[in-house]
Amino acid sequence: MTDPRDTVLTHALQAEGTYDSGKAPAGIRRIPRGVDGLATEHLVVNIGPQHPSTHGVLRLVVELDGEEIMNAEVAVGYLHRGIEKLGEHRRYHQLGTLMDRGDYVSGIHGELAAALATEQLLEVEVPAKAQWLRSLMSEINRVASHLVWYGTFGLDCGAMGQFLYAVRDRENLLDILEAVSGQRMMFNYVRPGGVVADLPADAEQKLRTFLRTIDGYLEEHDALLGGNEIFQKRVRGVGAIDRTTALSFGLTGANLRCTGVPYDVRRDKPYAAYEELQFDVPLGSTGDAWDRYLVRMEEMRQAVRMIRQCIDGLPEGDVMAKVPKVLRPPAGEVYACVESPRGELGVHLLSDGSDTPYRFHYRAPSLFAMQVLEEILPGQLLADAIMLIGSVDVVLGEIDR
Amino acid sequence: MLPDETVVRTTLSGVTQAEVSTSTLGVVVRIPADDASSALAALKASSLDFIMLVDLLGTDTGEEVEITYHLRSLTRDEDLYVKCVLPYEGVLHSVWNVYASALLPERETAELFGLTLAGHPNPARLLTVDDTEPLLRRSVAIRTLEEVRDR
Repeated sequence: MTDPRDTVLTHALQAEGTYDSGKAPAGIRRIPRGVDGLATEHLVVNIGPQHPSTHGVLRLVVELDGEEIMNAEVAVGYLHRGIEKLGEHRRYHQLGTLMDRGDYVSGIHGELAAALATEQLLEVEVPAKAQWLRSLMSEINRVASHLVWYGTFGLDCGAMGQFLYAVRDRENLLDILEAVSGQRMMFNYVRPGGVVADLPADAEQKLRTFLRTIDGYLEEHDALLGGNEIFQKRVRGVGAIDRTTALSFGLTGANLRCTGVPYDVRRDKPYAAYEELQFDVPLGSTGDAWDRYLVRMEEMRQAVRMIRQCIDGLPEGDVMAKVPKVLRPPAGEVYACVESPRGELGVHLLSDGSDTPYRFHYRAPSLFAMQVLEEILPGQLLADAIMLIGSVDVVLGEIDR
Repeated sequence: MLPDETVVRTTLSGVTQAEVSTSTLGVVVRIPADDASSALAALKASSLDFIMLVDLLGTDTGEEVEITYHLRSLTRDEDLYVKCVLPYEGVLHSVWNVYASALLPERETAELFGLTLAGHPNPARLLTVDDTEPLLRRSVAIRTLEEVRDR
């Protein structure tokens, strides 16, 4: 693969600002006029922002030569709510509520990152039971989030059935999350100092019922989509990202691990109870869409393995440390990160000693996963563009913030 | 893990006025804004192996805009924070030649702090529409919907 910087330079659409078909921007091949005076030319197509396959409100501007993509540019911002600015006017307890609305498919991870950063500033010791519950809820949420990716990724490739099965299992997981936190998506469960409530008996019952069937279901999911020859032909060898590109574009999570780089925040910078949990970090080798699929499917199995360990090994005790009602952390700057289903989700907090953060910054893994699309899309077919957006698993809520 | 301050200092010997210190954040290097690109390139190529730019963010200190580059070495498991300051309405020189991951965060930082982006292949706004105030400046107040309507 060539130097990633070369491709960025040839982004004629970006350099020119607007596309003018009469004036071919540098780097774009012009097709000569035929004898009858007719000619073909490149076509600029807007995909999104309201297209169902763009996973929210992503707009992709692609320049096509027939079916082939010459240039691609991602346009975002349709969901910008100013979460970072709002965070500077909220108390530390309220940051979790904002983080929930960033990556809305896996809210627990966002809350956890904000809580970890606040605890780092306060130097609070979190009770063991709360740590285990954080890991438990994170992994339940990871499976739920990966199931959304699995269902929609299949849709992007032209399959339908797997989406219904994925939603069936996700419903069960959302029921469990609701039984524990009271909410299906915007949990506000993880707070600075611990978690808001203990695991209720009915939630544990639901979880144990769910665990009886999930292993078989996961194998069924894998066989239904991964075992499909048409699906394999669509994804194998398409959209490969090599290690150098992945690292230089700041990819994390499954998108980085599919290239063979063994980096997982849960293992390398342990938080919550991950130091005590047994799990494997699945790795890919070629970095194509098929590897990303395999890595995420294995991550679900590992997550289920961790859910079992959490529920069996849950210690006794408090779920909340003694923290004041209004938090006024000492002045300082910290960075805390968690492994969200999309990669390294970080929160950068700067405190001036008052009850609101001076600066609150959200490191969104999807933002970095999305900029690599501009790198891998040129040269692909238009139909594969839709599949590749699905394969990197972006959530627009955290890109736009 | 924290990188060795002495090694960081030696690596940045070509950058005058580079100050290395340790804070609650970790090891922080303060450099003049004009040297950002060369300093990052030196850190990336050095034995410290800062292969990744994890994040890039701006902070309004009340007097100027502070840019933070968060670097990471995966082989050594170390993080380093490089900071430089720019005046309001200053020029943010792109470092995408060194780290391609800076492309979108730089656009976002420039528009939200009112900086001009230079040396960037696509210096357009990322999140907000034209003529939006630099929202993350401390001087820009947060408004209710009614206040926005009445403007």
